[in-house]
Amino acid sequence: MPWRRILLTMAVIIPVIGVLAFGFSRDPRYISSPLIGQPAPPFTVTLFDGKKLSLADLRGKVVFLNFWASWCPPCRAEARDLEAVWQRYKDKNIVFLGIDMQDTEKEALAFIEEFQITYPNGRDASGNISIDYGVWGIPETFFIDPEGRITYKHVGGLGYPIIVAKLDEARRGLISAKEGKGEYQSIR
Amino acid sequence: MPSLVILVLSLLVLPTGLQAQPTDLEEQLRAISEDLRCPVCQNLSVADSPSEMATQMRALVLKQLKEGKSPEQIRAYFVSKYGEWILLSPSTKGFSLVVWILPFIALIGGIILVFLVARRWVQRKSSYRPDEVDPALVQRVQQDVSSERVWEIDPEIEGPRAHLLNEQARLYTELQELEFDYRAGRLSEIDYQNLRPRYEAQAAGVLKELDSSPARTTSETRPRREKRTTKDAGQAQSGKAPSRRTWIFATTGVFLLVFGVTLGVYLGKSLRPRGSEQDSITGDFLTGTGPVGSSVMKGQNLPALLALGRAAFQRQDWGQAIGAFKRVHAIDPNQPEAHTYMGLILTQAGHADDALKAFNRALSSDPAFPLALWGKGMVLYRDKGDLSGARKNLEKVVSLLPPGKERIEVQKTIDELTSHQATPEKSKQSVTNSSRIEGTISVDPNLKAKLDSGDTLFIIIRSANSATGPPLAVKRIDSPVFPLSYSLGPENMMMSGRPFGGKVNVSVRLDKDGNAITREPGSLMGAYEKNPVEIGTQGVDIILDQVM
Repeated sequence: MPWRRILLTMAVIIPVIGVLAFGFSRDPRYISSPLIGQPAPPFTVTLFDGKKLSLADLRGKVVFLNFWASWCPPCRAEARDLEAVWQRYKDKNIVFLGIDMQDTEKEALAFIEEFQITYPNGRDASGNISIDYGVWGIPETFFIDPEGRITYKHVGGLGYPIIVAKLDEARRGLISAKEGKGEYQSIR
Repeated sequence: MPSLVILVLSLLVLPTGLQAQPTDLEEQLRAISEDLRCPVCQNLSVADSPSEMATQMRALVLKQLKEGKSPEQIRAYFVSKYGEWILLSPSTKGFSLVVWILPFIALIGGIILVFLVARRWVQRKSSYRPDEVDPALVQRVQQDVSSERVWEIDPEIEGPRAHLLNEQARLYTELQELEFDYRAGRLSEIDYQNLRPRYEAQAAGVLKELDSSPARTTSETRPRREKRTTKDAGQAQSGKAPSRRTWIFATTGVFLLVFGVTLGVYLGKSLRPRGSEQDSITGDFLTGTGPVGSSVMKGQNLPALLALGRAAFQRQDWGQAIGAFKRVHAIDPNQPEAHTYMGLILTQAGHADDALKAFNRALSSDPAFPLALWGKGMVLYRDKGDLSGARKNLEKVVSLLPPGKERIEVQKTIDELTSHQATPEKSKQSVTNSSRIEGTISVDPNLKAKLDSGDTLFIIIRSANSATGPPLAVKRIDSPVFPLSYSLGPENMMMSGRPFGGKVNVSVRLDKDGNAITREPGSLMGAYEKNPVEIGTQGVDIILDQVM
């Protein structure tokens, strides 16, 4: 009889503790992306030099799509690495494209000037491109394979080694099992 | 009952078509926005959030409404981008349906439980009618109760009559206590006259059932104790001999007190005021996601704050390191070590000018602070190209440091700097080819079962001279495919400014959670069998052959 009571009590308490433990161990702000492995949403962006660039035009190339803002510290932290990788891989069928969001054109241009960024960059003034990619924490980076599929997404600042490794995977069309998360993102 | 369950569930699952649909565009916009969660806020809907992103999302909803899309299509669009997370009310399809149904199942279960318990209770009460009770049995009950025997409920008693015996013991005890309380003056005459016949009638009913059941077995025997007499009634008020019930109450009280205090302490440690918009009120203790050493951060203990900042710097937690060093400056604005570390962090972030300012402030407080001199020297060398200025600072570091590894490292940098001054072109070339470690990594065939698609490979190069401290260079490869070729060079260095050369140990670790700091059991490891090797060596082939 007491054993039945203990078992019954445990049967009630353990699931409750389990639910609480699950809830407490999750980051309630983290939003998992349903886009990995899916075709990258198409868009056309006006670059800072006035030219227009469509994602569809880049089919057949690996695309490194980086959402950033000039006010975001981790974007500053990763900026030099991004440019360094671009310099090394720009002739290897890889395109880097920066999308500036939640920002002013003046500050964005100052950022590009400060870090001497040479790859194409445009501004998403309406926010439609960033919403289309489910962006929430800046910087966010999407790796798109030559077929136009998103192979990997990283929320937070990136470093040289991981960019190189993920570009290589995107080149081979390997889709990552889960998205990456940097320790440091900016949310505004 | 089942029809009621079906009715409640069907009301839940029914589409919202029964509700009135907003017709006006703005009303529709409001209705949809209220159902969408703002991705950059804390528990705010898109309708209520003042953030730029929410404003853009509202504009997009309006645009889609104008294009003639239905609210369901718009919600589905946002779900396709952000997942179910974006909906403030979970959908009524798939697994999310559980969230809607579960509370009602629990409610219905609770009602059924209360109904069953109440029915049992009423049945038990109503099964004994005083007017139908045999007076002879009542007399037996009265004799038993007035005897010296103490009746106790024994949970370990066995046999078919166990529940009857325990019920008998319970009622007899109730009657004894009723008598005791009455005599002690704790029960009124009316209550006593009202309760006693009821208990006696119930006990007589139990006796009747016991008489009609098979005879007692030895296992049914229960311990006997001396009964409390009416004389004890007076003593009871002074609380001389605590009863079993008193012990139970006391133990429960102590347990609840300990539980309450523990809960209070744990919650007190885990909850904190939000430090910023990005912060959350939970963290520290329960989840481990909050700031480490928050008590230190609040205090005035400079050495502890510096130690916290250094530790955060080592694990590259820049946010906490900056917080700790800022706190140091609030207490002592001229603390040289804090200025130095701020300078090192600024160097990492690429702010050479601000870093130089920080190093200069450190040196104005302590002109012979080696780390500040080293930081300034390295910024002048790497970022500013001021070779003579760099040389001056680094030479001062060498003069201050005791003989040892660190002094040799700084001396090497000075030598490198000297060669740069002499032949700048030549030294640039040498970085490209001879300053790499290259080879392949494979997995022991016996350990292939341990591989997982979510694993992360770390290739780690440590200086052969230092077994501890941060590695010289690390390369991270997510979801690696074996065998793989690798190549590490100066771009993989952990700290810019240190020379990438000399003898090194090369090792690899296949990590389960992708966090370089934590080490999980089951991770695979391997090291180059001819360690140490010179930087520039090719064919450094490593096999993952150890399990952590």
